[in-house]
Amino acid sequence: MAAYLVRRVIFGLLTLVVITCFVYGLARNMPGTPLTVQLGETDPSRKFNPEDLERMKRIYGLDKPWPVGFAQWLSNVVRGDLGRSISRKQPVATLIAERIGPTFLISGTALVLAWLTAIPLGLYASARSGRADERVSSLMLYVLYSFPTFVAALFLQIIFAVWLRGTGWELPLFGMSDLPPDAPLLSRIGDVARHMILPVTCQTYVGLAYDSRFIKANMEEAVRQDYVRTARAKGAGPWRVLFRHAFRNTLIPLVTLLGLSLPGLIGGSVIIEQIFTWPGMGRLFFESIRERDYPTIMGLTLMFSMLTLAGQLLADLLYCAVDPRVSVE
Amino acid sequence: MKAAVAARSTGFWAEAWKRFRRKKLAMAALTFIGGLLLTALFAPAIAGTKPVLCRYKGTIYAPCLGYFDRRLEPAIFTKDRFRGTYPRNLKEKDPESWAIWPLVFQDPYRSVRADEWPGEPANPARDEGRPSRRNLFGTDQAGVDVFAKMVHGTTIALLVGFVSMGIAGTIGIIVGAVGGYFGGWVDMVTSRVTEIVMCIPTLVLILAVIAVIEKPTIWHTMAIIGATGWTGIARLTRGEFLRLKGSEFVMAAKASGAGPVRIMLRHILPNALAPVLVPITFGIASAVLLESSLSFLGFGPPPPTASWGSVLNDARSNLAMWWLVAFPGIAIFLTVLAYNLIGEALQEATDPRLREARK
Repeated sequence: MAAYLVRRVIFGLLTLVVITCFVYGLARNMPGTPLTVQLGETDPSRKFNPEDLERMKRIYGLDKPWPVGFAQWLSNVVRGDLGRSISRKQPVATLIAERIGPTFLISGTALVLAWLTAIPLGLYASARSGRADERVSSLMLYVLYSFPTFVAALFLQIIFAVWLRGTGWELPLFGMSDLPPDAPLLSRIGDVARHMILPVTCQTYVGLAYDSRFIKANMEEAVRQDYVRTARAKGAGPWRVLFRHAFRNTLIPLVTLLGLSLPGLIGGSVIIEQIFTWPGMGRLFFESIRERDYPTIMGLTLMFSMLTLAGQLLADLLYCAVDPRVSVE
Repeated sequence: MKAAVAARSTGFWAEAWKRFRRKKLAMAALTFIGGLLLTALFAPAIAGTKPVLCRYKGTIYAPCLGYFDRRLEPAIFTKDRFRGTYPRNLKEKDPESWAIWPLVFQDPYRSVRADEWPGEPANPARDEGRPSRRNLFGTDQAGVDVFAKMVHGTTIALLVGFVSMGIAGTIGIIVGAVGGYFGGWVDMVTSRVTEIVMCIPTLVLILAVIAVIEKPTIWHTMAIIGATGWTGIARLTRGEFLRLKGSEFVMAAKASGAGPVRIMLRHILPNALAPVLVPITFGIASAVLLESSLSFLGFGPPPPTASWGSVLNDARSNLAMWWLVAFPGIAIFLTVLAYNLIGEALQEATDPRLREARK
């Protein structure tokens, strides 16, 4: 077990180095630098003169070739320093810490809601498998699964922010809160909740459609097993068979799926956060690419890849934990 | 003679096709994709401002081909200073001329001006272009017809899926086949590479690569989607090759002196193709989705190339123009749904395990 873990971690670290090196090379080769892109776009007259630009480049270490820059970045990371954002003049670690909360607020809520609805739906679908009502609900879930998030987001925005404007149903289009930070706590919570409704809806339905189909597929596999037939034969009722005998055996793949959703939980969704201008990680990444803010791009890439690797490892370990037949060796 | 035909058993693919055909939804989806293919092929004849065929100064031309490639537009019209406006110029410069026009006289790249088609007004611009008899799907802020844009954007929606998954399929099958067949350290290397690529968040990689390219075109986007989307296919191919490389027909091929490339291509691949085709079909759906979300985020092909996603992007600045969301949104949704339905039916038709379960 320990040997396996060590091997996985060492290989994971190597993977991280390869990925970050690749992304660093890409980022440094994008046309424009954080210094020119940012100022040149807002106001051409505010462009640096050449001497200032050289001085700034030296300060930020942009005058060296990118492999040297990467080595420097890597050695800083090893010492626990993610660097400072060039365009935001803040440490990257602080920026990420600021953005994790809002992202988690959306993705965590969406994840819980999706699972809470997907499990009953999936069980219902497998209990009534083949009947007319199950076919209709499964088809609808399938349609929902194919519905692009950004299209759904735009439709929701049109309905709740444009057509229902002025009515009690109107929902805010953008951002996380309209109230000043000194407003009473309760009304601020209510305001954030109102802002959350649309993005959470968008993120929930995707997860819901996928998870319930996943549960149904696994249940279909489980109800064909011999132990289910045995349970039926000894006289267990249909719901008892479904819950106690079949569903408990589908928990293993479910746990794996949960592990794999870890990166999305903290990484957020670039598209949803971009549409609703939600101040989360996905949006931060999108903005940092636009601003050519290398330290932030790198910090986020490192975090995303680390989460993906951790999620995979977690899924494998959980798999062993819940199924004694599987061994890490 | 008749007995000989009857005795021949149907092949695997004929059997699969028979089962596939029984699924109404999947057949409807296949018809829909076929319709898109026809739309893409005949786009200039469906919506455009250039004649499909015309007779001008004694020769017959097809100026509509200019929509596929500018160089295909006959040079004589540039020389005679048509400047892209055909109806009036044709009549003025050659009263004898005739022309067959596209079904809808609208251009995907520019707004139609007043009286360009005799007696018709100019396209409404800004947020006034709601769907009407002249502009079936409305117009965007610049007054460009959305229907024409979407008809011409069909090409991209189709190409993206097939080209990117063609690339991904090729890479995935080669990597998976080599790893699965040779095993040992080769498998070790290919599996690790696959895992590394799997760990890079796709959107992160795509956004970064697109930002590096000086002038990204739609072909770059397709290549990047293909170059990142092969991991699932590689894993599946590897599994199939691992399973099949010990089978008797491979032994027989080896014994008769076939080389590894021949065994992989001629003997194992045809038997491994069905399960690999399923993730490729689902991959087409996600490639279409990815391209439209990239265009939607503003990382799509540069204007004036028409893509469904870029019409959606226009809608973000003015949500009151619901038609900019509804029509391309539904088109993207239907296309993704169609590929997903085809993929699922393909899975059910080719997987013997699922087939037995149905009984």
